[in-house]
Amino acid sequence: MEEEEDQQTILDLVKELVNRLLSQNPKPPISNPSPNSPDFQNSLRYAIRILSSRLTPSIAPDAAAISESIKRGLATRGKSSQALTFSELYNKFASKTGSGSIDNKWAVLYLLKIISEDKKTAQNASNPSLFLSNMGLNELDLSNESRVLRNSKRGDKGHDNGVLVVTKDPENLREIAFREFVNLIKEENEVSEEVLVRDVLYACQGIDGKYVKFDANVDGYVLLDSIKVPRGTRVMVRKLCELGWLFRKVKGYISESMDRFPDEDVGTVRQAFCAALQNELLDYYKLLAVLEVQAMNPIPLVSETASSGNYLSLRRLLVWFTEPIVKMRLMAVLVDKCRVLRGGAMAGAIHLHAQHGDPLVNEFMRSLLLCVCSPLFEMVRSWVLEGQLEDIFAEFFVVGQPVKAESLWREGYRLHAGMLPSFISQPLAQRILRTGKSINFLRACCDDHGWADATTEAAAAAGTTTRRGSLGYGETDALETLVVEAAKRIDKHLLDVMYTRYKFKEHCLAIKRYLLLGQGDFVQYLMDIVGKELSEPANTISSFQLAGLLESSIRSSNAQYDDRDILDRLRVKMMPHGTGDRGWDVFSLEYDARVPLDTVFTESVMARYLRIFNFLWKLRRVEHALIGAWKTMKPNCITSHSFTKPQHAVKLQLLSTLRRCQVLWNQMNHFITNLQYYIMFEVLEVSWSNFSNEMEVARDLDDLLAAHDKYLHSIVEKSLLGERSQSLYKSLFVLFDLILRFRSHADRLYEGIYELQARTRASSLSSRDKNRSWRQTRNKTSEPGSCLNDGRKALEEHAGEFLQNMGQELEAISKEYTVLLEGFLSQLPMQQHVDLKFLFFRLDFAGFYSQLCPGT
Amino acid sequence: MPREIITLQVGQCGNQIGMEFWKQLCLEHGINKDGILEDFATQGGDRKDVFFYQADDQHYIPRALLIDLEPRVINGIQNSEYRNLYNHENIFVSDHGGGAGNNWASGYHQGKGVEEDIMDMIDREADGSDSLEGFVLCHSIAGGTGSGMGSYLLETLNDRYSKKLVQTYSVFPNQMETSDVVVQPYNSLLTLKRLTLNADCVVVLDNTALNRIAVERLHLSTPTFAQTNSLVSTVMSASTTTLRYPGYMNNDLVGLLASLIPTPRCHFLMTGYTPLTVERQANVIRKTTVLDVMRRLLQTKNIMVSSYARTKEASQAKYISILNIIQGEVDPTQVHESLQRIRERKLVNFIEWGPASIQVALSRKSPYVQTAHRVSGLMLASHTSIRHLFSKCLSQYEKLRKKQAFLDNYRKFPMFADNDLSEFDESRDIIESLVDEYKACESPDYIKWGMEDPNNLLTEEGNAKGTADPKLAI
Repeated sequence: MEEEEDQQTILDLVKELVNRLLSQNPKPPISNPSPNSPDFQNSLRYAIRILSSRLTPSIAPDAAAISESIKRGLATRGKSSQALTFSELYNKFASKTGSGSIDNKWAVLYLLKIISEDKKTAQNASNPSLFLSNMGLNELDLSNESRVLRNSKRGDKGHDNGVLVVTKDPENLREIAFREFVNLIKEENEVSEEVLVRDVLYACQGIDGKYVKFDANVDGYVLLDSIKVPRGTRVMVRKLCELGWLFRKVKGYISESMDRFPDEDVGTVRQAFCAALQNELLDYYKLLAVLEVQAMNPIPLVSETASSGNYLSLRRLLVWFTEPIVKMRLMAVLVDKCRVLRGGAMAGAIHLHAQHGDPLVNEFMRSLLLCVCSPLFEMVRSWVLEGQLEDIFAEFFVVGQPVKAESLWREGYRLHAGMLPSFISQPLAQRILRTGKSINFLRACCDDHGWADATTEAAAAAGTTTRRGSLGYGETDALETLVVEAAKRIDKHLLDVMYTRYKFKEHCLAIKRYLLLGQGDFVQYLMDIVGKELSEPANTISSFQLAGLLESSIRSSNAQYDDRDILDRLRVKMMPHGTGDRGWDVFSLEYDARVPLDTVFTESVMARYLRIFNFLWKLRRVEHALIGAWKTMKPNCITSHSFTKPQHAVKLQLLSTLRRCQVLWNQMNHFITNLQYYIMFEVLEVSWSNFSNEMEVARDLDDLLAAHDKYLHSIVEKSLLGERSQSLYKSLFVLFDLILRFRSHADRLYEGIYELQARTRASSLSSRDKNRSWRQTRNKTSEPGSCLNDGRKALEEHAGEFLQNMGQELEAISKEYTVLLEGFLSQLPMQQHVDLKFLFFRLDFAGFYSQLCPGT
Repeated sequence: MPREIITLQVGQCGNQIGMEFWKQLCLEHGINKDGILEDFATQGGDRKDVFFYQADDQHYIPRALLIDLEPRVINGIQNSEYRNLYNHENIFVSDHGGGAGNNWASGYHQGKGVEEDIMDMIDREADGSDSLEGFVLCHSIAGGTGSGMGSYLLETLNDRYSKKLVQTYSVFPNQMETSDVVVQPYNSLLTLKRLTLNADCVVVLDNTALNRIAVERLHLSTPTFAQTNSLVSTVMSASTTTLRYPGYMNNDLVGLLASLIPTPRCHFLMTGYTPLTVERQANVIRKTTVLDVMRRLLQTKNIMVSSYARTKEASQAKYISILNIIQGEVDPTQVHESLQRIRERKLVNFIEWGPASIQVALSRKSPYVQTAHRVSGLMLASHTSIRHLFSKCLSQYEKLRKKQAFLDNYRKFPMFADNDLSEFDESRDIIESLVDEYKACESPDYIKWGMEDPNNLLTEEGNAKGTADPKLAI
């Protein structure tokens, strides 16, 4: 009973199956195939006959093996996606166990396989069976190109497929005829996979094969259209041929580079790159050779009955090619990236690609970079250890240019940012630059050879020998250690040379002593002896004479004990002068800083020193003038204690004029003296002590330069010479000029007083004689005495007038001075950029000025 | 072309402090007792040629004239270990060797007598220098030779070398104890007149204060002359350091003095020194900073002039000028900080009629003299309280004069012949006006002082030539 029921179910199912198969033929519009149609009946019968036969498959009942063979079959035909789908389905299918599931899984698979193989054989035999009708349709869509072909041939029909002629309508007939034609064409051009494999292998060596040729339009290797292969195969061939395309590119790049080798834009890094690529290609060639050999051998078959092929199928090739294609792609990308790049930039660009998570890529890039970077690292090594720029192709990130020795340090070498590979950090690059620069500086400017020992030591300390090629990419740490060690020693050596051999500190001190007037006695004598010369118009002054005076003031001051080398560098310099300039305006001293010190004391630096000198010199001159004025009115001067008996009015006038002069002198002197103290303590000495501290800790020449710059800058700024203190500076100079004017007034005043005094004394002496005789005789007329008295009266009148004039002039100067000084003082607190409160504090120590005008 | 300074040591006291001064200078410059440079003295930077010159055999000779009317002190020097240091041509001892008998008039008169000899010596020294800066006179004002002959020399120098500076180191007598020189008030007064009129700068060394300092600061119960003299030599050498170790500023005497003496008449300077030590004196070594030193310098107890001022007057006293010479290793930034502190605490009163401030000169220390202290400082200051010292001299003179005591000794000499004591009166007037001027400096109206009261002028008027107006004489 049950048996019967089953039988019936199976029969129904078979019927259903046959029905479905038939109805899946979409083109002939069988809307509803009748179960009674003869086709259906025939098919059903055929099916039942198969089912009831006792045929057994020739293979072992192994589901996995079968599924594998199906998968491979699919893959071979280039239907990898279907193969994937299949394996997925199969997994699902296999995992279904238990009740309700199919027991004979392998049988089902086998069945399906056989069915599909049946289709194929039917197609191959040009005897399409019922089942194969589906395939034809698929192939119609295969390629667009063939559609054109098909369209043109559309009219040409007449052949009948036979099997598919289910309906009699003409549309269908035409379609069938066309399909037949296409099939015919394809049959003619049919190629075996074996041939394709060979062609692909050719293509992969950049050679056109029989069927696979390079198409410039598509820019790639393609299978000729005329070849009839499954779409999958075609796609696969294209995919495989990508390798060939990539190879062509890489190869092209290499040969192009090699051809242009002596050209400038090729360079060693590019050569190294090419060599590395060539190396990689060598491996690739080996692989291809092996593959080619294998292509000849037949595949050891799993099953005798399965269609036998070569050992190398396209699909296998795909597997073989996975790794080379990754590498080749990388190389092609690099080649593309590097086409316009050179040197360090190229290495940097390649390095960017090395940052990859894939260990394969990483490893590959590493070995590539090892080669690419070796010339660069060699350059770094020889630069850092020998100071050599071995860079004929301008690839290094340090660029040298021919300059004069004095600017070698500042301008001789610089970093070429474009050539700096990204795996070398900016600070490290700076360090590398400085180290090599130091060596060159030592060699070119300092005439020193001790650096070689320093570098040997450094190399020993860094653990690498000074041999070539001892560093490579990936050893950035080692490189850094080497650079650091070398830099440390070279810098130290350079500073040692600067300090001990070239006496940097001594020269700085000398400049401070002579240009910044620190050697007071020297400056004083110089001022004393050139003073007269400098009052002459500038164009009449001979600088030779001044040089002689400079020499004599050196000899007569403590400067004579100074190092002769230092003194020889001290020169008189006459600045360019205009008409009306006095010697004072153009005179200055200069210090000849020779190589290598002119690296620090460049022309612009010396120009700043000159400005400071001029300011200090002027200040000194004003001080000198004031002291000169004091000397004329010093305490034991005759004027200060006696003016032999003039009238009270004159006496009072004299007293008041003198006192006004003294008080004004005191104010001016206070100002100048305190300005000097300010300059000395708060400007020169403080800046100097900061500078010497920084000199102590300076680790390289750049530090030293920076420290010196800071020193100079602070002096310039604090001495009111900076840009922002211009107005202060100007009012200061107006004050200076006023003080100089005061001095000449004071001199005139005292001269006048001396003269008056001398005349008064002469007259009083004579009157004394007369008086004495008058006292003795007591009877002489007073006539001569009165005559003398008349003379005295005139003298006194003259004196009164003179004193009054002088007093008024002094008063005017005093007023002007007060106004100017107030103006100056009121500007002081407004100077934000430089701390001038020290100066104000000094000038107003006793609160004199703040009491005078409480507003400020 | 050094700014040479010629030292004149006159009289017993002058020669004693002079000798100490040269000892100190030799030590500081590394010159041995025979004037030969020590082997170790190779570190340059010092100027020896301001105070020394070199003989043909390269040994250093002080630019010093040793002058006395009695041979005792000078013989002592000539028998001392320093006998080879001085130029023997520069030693003048009067032939009779009788001294001046503590009489100013005798010293003055004898000075006139030997003027030619001494001026020859001075001229020779002056000719031997390239650019003579001036003279330094060491003397005491109380005795006979230093005061009398010193006064005469001052007048002569002022006459002949009017363009040169004359600085004196004048020792004022100890007024705490009764002096063996009874006429010391007369001598002092007469000398003070010359110091006022004929010197450019007088460094007042008050024996009273020196003794007090020796007792109080150095804890010596009875300080000897040698000990007080070593204080003096310390001050003298310190005040010349900026000349001997040139730096940025204050490298010549005139520059040094100009800022200190803005008003010509007020040219008497007080000194202070810290920290003080005396040879072989184990002192507690203090930590010295610039601020410490500068603050201590302002304390009256360290000042080498005694103040006879009463409290009220003392509070009125004002500084006209201050110069601190700081020696040793000094960070220049400390100077500013110290000045700031001093100003904040209002430790100094300055004159009100003009700007004033504490000037600070940093000077090197001799590398050959080891001192226990890192920093030492000398103050030179013009302070109005010094007028009380002069007032004291005046009052002592008045006391003696009233009694007409001891005047006979003076009448023996031409200046006071015929009982002409006008010299005394004139000197008194001048000192009085000096005191007045110092007093006027304490007020803000100094500029107008003396203008409104013509009578004041009469007393203020000095007459250097000793001549009287005929109209007044009548």
